[in-house]
Amino acid sequence: MSSLLATMYVATGAMATDQGALEVTSNNVANVNTPGYSREIPTLEESPPVVLGNLTYGTGVQLANVQSVRDPILQLRIQQETGDQGQLNSYVTAMNQAQTLFTTGTNDIGTEMSNLFSSISQLSTDPSNLSLRQAVLTAASNLATSFNNTASNLVAQRSNLDLNVVQSVQQVNTLTQQIATLNGQITALQNVGQDPSAFIDQRDNLINQLSGLIDVSEIKSDSGITLTTSSGTALVTGTQSYALSTQPDASGVQHIFSQQGTDITSQINSGALGGLIQARDQTIPGLLNGLNTLASGLANAFNAANTAGFDLNGNKGGNLFTPPPAGVTGAAANMSVAITDPSLIAASSDGSAGSNGNVANFSAIQNQTTISGETPTDYYGNLVFTVGNDVSNSTAELQSSQLVLQQLQDQRGSISGVSLDEEAANMTQYQQAYDAAAQVVVAVNQMLETVVNMGATAVSS
Amino acid sequence: MSSIRVNPYVLPDLLADLNNTQQQADTASLQMSTGSRINQPSDDPAGAAEMVANNAQSSQADSFLRSINSLNGLLQTADSTMNNVVTALNRAISLGTEGANGTLSDDDRTDVANELSGIQQQLLSLANTSYQGEFIFAGTATVQPFVADSSNPSGVTYNGNNGANSVQVGEDYSVQINLPGSQVFTGTSGNVFQSINDLINALKTNNNIGSAVTEVSNAYNYVTGQRVFYGNALNQLQAQQNFLNSDTLDLATAANSISATDMAQAATTFSQAEIAMNAELDGISRISQVSLFDYLK
Repeated sequence: MSSLLATMYVATGAMATDQGALEVTSNNVANVNTPGYSREIPTLEESPPVVLGNLTYGTGVQLANVQSVRDPILQLRIQQETGDQGQLNSYVTAMNQAQTLFTTGTNDIGTEMSNLFSSISQLSTDPSNLSLRQAVLTAASNLATSFNNTASNLVAQRSNLDLNVVQSVQQVNTLTQQIATLNGQITALQNVGQDPSAFIDQRDNLINQLSGLIDVSEIKSDSGITLTTSSGTALVTGTQSYALSTQPDASGVQHIFSQQGTDITSQINSGALGGLIQARDQTIPGLLNGLNTLASGLANAFNAANTAGFDLNGNKGGNLFTPPPAGVTGAAANMSVAITDPSLIAASSDGSAGSNGNVANFSAIQNQTTISGETPTDYYGNLVFTVGNDVSNSTAELQSSQLVLQQLQDQRGSISGVSLDEEAANMTQYQQAYDAAAQVVVAVNQMLETVVNMGATAVSS
Repeated sequence: MSSIRVNPYVLPDLLADLNNTQQQADTASLQMSTGSRINQPSDDPAGAAEMVANNAQSSQADSFLRSINSLNGLLQTADSTMNNVVTALNRAISLGTEGANGTLSDDDRTDVANELSGIQQQLLSLANTSYQGEFIFAGTATVQPFVADSSNPSGVTYNGNNGANSVQVGEDYSVQINLPGSQVFTGTSGNVFQSINDLINALKTNNNIGSAVTEVSNAYNYVTGQRVFYGNALNQLQAQQNFLNSDTLDLATAANSISATDMAQAATTFSQAEIAMNAELDGISRISQVSLFDYLK
């Protein structure tokens, strides 16, 4: 036979449980906008029953645990896709800036090349005319300036990327440190049987941010989580984080080193750092090399043409452009016109001042396949194609990666996201249960009063 | 309770959609305002590279056309100078024929000779004609080509050279633009100055006037032949100008088909994006407001 006090105990237990469940709801609602938060659900279970004689009485409800709803596999996929997206995003941003230099406008290399050939064409109609000669020098100087500006802009972009690399490495170090700390907190809670959900959410969020910066592979172990780069450089093991460092090489380009001092720059191919390094160490140097080849080839061709003829004074022509450096490095950045006196342009083929016989040697450069087997215009056109195609392809990849990530986030949301409707429904449910249990308490209280009053009546009578 | 749970976070998706739509509208608007669908190489890498070649070609055609324009002036000046030379020689032949008339007195012949001296001066000045500061009959030299020189049997000295210039007016097409004065005025089969000088001397000495007139007439025929060169050059340039004009038009048409914005399509894209954007904004403003909490009163 049960007791009123036991009933009271069951009812107050229910109230406590409902209150606890409501607290979970309240926490979910509070974190509805917290990035990386996984909704929690209270697990209610029956209290162990009591057997009295041949009757088994339930002893109410208890809050067994509070569980976070998350899908670790999905979390991993999100991390991978975040890494891809970070890589593509930083690459596209960098190359979008680079491609503006190759946009056909008024001062781009293609236009300035055309202007130079055009001025030479005009010179042939009146080869001793000083203003036409000056126009050729001006056009040549404009072309050199265009090469200088394009090259120096690319170099400046490289330095900016370099700065970004250093900043990203600092962010990586901050994140790995925080993750190591969280690893410790999570293990400590787990060791005493507590729920580390809040810390796991935070850690997932940080690992996600880390994936956006550098390639990360994750290994679960007893001591928490071990994070390495995909090539195996340790970032975090348990509570220990390993800081990466940056060191400039001889040319001033920042390289990334593991804590053991290994240069891991070329191994990083995901996350923002992957994109930055790809643009900085491959694409932009490739474009610079193309510009240098073109600048050097043009300067040599024009010099050969000018030295083949005679200037206005009947002297053998000299160099039109400052001779480009051996090898091609620096040819575009340092391209300059070697002469300032327009009479030194060697238009004449025989030394007579009015001869234009050597102008054909200049005009011919336009159609000669002297730049790596291509005409200057075709070579430049190919550079434009290369940079445009690169940006266009990686932008397309970025867009599809964004779509995939969006879908994964949707999936994560459908599993772990806080639905206010659901929480509102839960809230009413727990509230009603609480109200009901409270009613039971009131009822038991009245019954107890009845019992107590029964005793008082007996005494007074 | 086994129904599929939906993602409660609709805002990020809606905002991403809105962003995409915004981008479409921006692109369409840029294409409409610049008139070009290639505003950076990545918009159409192959098209951008084609445009580099197209620009180079049209700039070349343009510079050939400008060359032709300035050469036209030069060649027309040369042609009309040659016309004056021919007229002057014609007059010299008439005067010579008149002087050959045996009834003329010595004084009359002297008058004729004096008039011929005037023509000689005129021819000298014609042979030294310049166009925009350059002597047109000096070959490729830049000095005054003919100087009066009585020690020379022709009465002049040629200080120019025998060079000739050609100007490129097509990708593989050059036109010679001048004849050296030595060839035009002092050729072996017809020498303008020599013949006039001989005629003057013949008239003054009343000796061999007839053969001197024949000499001038040979020079006349020869110079008339030389003049054809300038007419031909002008015709060649005219033909090339017509070709280049149609070439320029072709290149512009090609450029248009490579890079010009399809205005109708861009306008449609823009207005579609605008409609979509309004719908998305409307959706965002509604959805984000409502939850079950609003009904629990």
